[in-house]
Amino acid sequence: MNAVEIKKLSKNFGPKQAVCGLNMTVPMGAIYGFIGENGSGKSTTEKMICGLIPTSGGSIKLYGKDYTDEAVRAKVGVLIESPGCFPGLTVWDNMMLEAANLSVPNAEQEVVNVLKMVRMEGAAGNKYKNCSLGMKQRVGIAMALLGNPTLLVLDEPLNGLDADGMRIMREVFLDIIKDGTRSIIVSSHLLGELQKVATHYGIIRHGKMLVEMTADELDASCRTYVALQSGEMNRTKMLLGCKYSRVEEDEAGYIRVYDLTTPEDIVKYLYDNGIIVTEIKTDKIGLEEYYIDLMKGGR
Amino acid sequence: MTRELKFKNPSFSERIKGMLGVDFYRLFHTPMFYIFLAIAAIIPAMVSAMTTMPGPDGSASTPLYSNLWQIIAASKSLYVIEGIADYANMNMVFIFGGIMVSIFIGHDYKSGYVKQLFTTHAKKQDYMISKTLVCAFAMACMCVTYLIGGIVGGMFAGYDATVNVGSLVIAVLGKMVMSLGWASLYTFLNVIFRRYFGISVASSFFFGTGILIIGAAAIVEGLGLPTGFLNVFLYGASVNANLSSGIGSLLICIVVSVAWAFIYNVAGTRLLNKSDVY
Repeated sequence: MNAVEIKKLSKNFGPKQAVCGLNMTVPMGAIYGFIGENGSGKSTTEKMICGLIPTSGGSIKLYGKDYTDEAVRAKVGVLIESPGCFPGLTVWDNMMLEAANLSVPNAEQEVVNVLKMVRMEGAAGNKYKNCSLGMKQRVGIAMALLGNPTLLVLDEPLNGLDADGMRIMREVFLDIIKDGTRSIIVSSHLLGELQKVATHYGIIRHGKMLVEMTADELDASCRTYVALQSGEMNRTKMLLGCKYSRVEEDEAGYIRVYDLTTPEDIVKYLYDNGIIVTEIKTDKIGLEEYYIDLMKGGR
Repeated sequence: MTRELKFKNPSFSERIKGMLGVDFYRLFHTPMFYIFLAIAAIIPAMVSAMTTMPGPDGSASTPLYSNLWQIIAASKSLYVIEGIADYANMNMVFIFGGIMVSIFIGHDYKSGYVKQLFTTHAKKQDYMISKTLVCAFAMACMCVTYLIGGIVGGMFAGYDATVNVGSLVIAVLGKMVMSLGWASLYTFLNVIFRRYFGISVASSFFFGTGILIIGAAAIVEGLGLPTGFLNVFLYGASVNANLSSGIGSLLICIVVSVAWAFIYNVAGTRLLNKSDVY
């Protein structure tokens, strides 16, 4: 049984088709990185999963049951766009409201626990409107964690978080899925951060799922390359360009050779042409580059 | 190691308890409720005091009311108002109440809290019921503070306090019961105009004034037809709870209020089910 199983999902806003025939599978125990450009249909899909907007067609099953089933809904934690909090109330009051909404037993203790998880226990008395963007995101995640949810749907939860905040969130996510039944759908534009935790990926474009894959499959399909530096970068690039089909200079100032080759061959080739390589390494492209490549139609 | 997943279907009482818990928590933890209670107390006191004050030149003013309890309810069923005294009574609570409901529900959407409400086990029906009950409670509380403000203001103004106690009690209870019907109307209006706060307030105010029924009554009276059927509407039944009411008026208030609450809740639920909530 999968945590989320979506088949032929569609959503129209008047004549505009925001999501069209989307299929998506989130296995149990997965951290599902849901990726796409702005306006690709990510948030719309997540809103449909959460029951905020009705579908125009297709089906959504959560743990084998229809997404409207109250029993399943009671176990879905959500952070869509921004936390739904009352600005004039304190963090504590907002959390208690959500606890009441979810009929959480022993609400006060549970609120303390989730605030501790996101390191916000010291700011419980702050008015929500006085919290920084990062603190607000943490409150939103704490709210989503209330009631021990089985499925978390988090839309851009890493926005505004500092480095420590992101590390904490990674720990929280990994802690949640460790029993193998709970799952998290995370959409984020911070692909580097997402790659550190995601076990599965879904890439959406123009309302359609372009590709779904596991982290291992992504790893296997990410191309390796040789990156090097020399004392004569321009000449090196020109020489490599003559021999290899894809040679690019990256932002860090390395020349990358994507063709199937070995560092030894490249060093020898350049040495024969009078160039000394000062640094050379092999690496793989990351999620971000894979995604950009995919969007450019490179795959 | 994996554990078995069990999903427990929350009962209606569990769901509604959660939703009511949220709404009552909000009601009591935000200043808006207390401000409106104060407004409901101050307005009758001010109206009765100001209308008995002498003019700037020392001339005696004509009191607005002839009896203290007219501040609370009209002396008889008057769908078409003959003077401001027929109108300026506890029915005004339903006008302020409409604005209060608009602010209360509007904040759900403005703050985005509605996302939290509708992404959990709560059904749209629970939302409608909870908002209606909590807002009806708030408006009934406003009726009480209006009563207190009216009595204090009327006593200071020196109005005659002679009254048929039974009718007075029925009038007050009738109006408190009508809070349920009015709250359901305002909840429905605010669901329709949930993305347009200004229109929500304006529409609540418009319906709260009862102007549609007053206009209809003028036409019906002009045609020489009986106006009793107007009691099936919220404003008509509210006017029918007055200082000459009997137990029948209270029963009408109960039936009309509950019937409209049911109708507006069903309509609001259907609307929410079909539309994009956020």
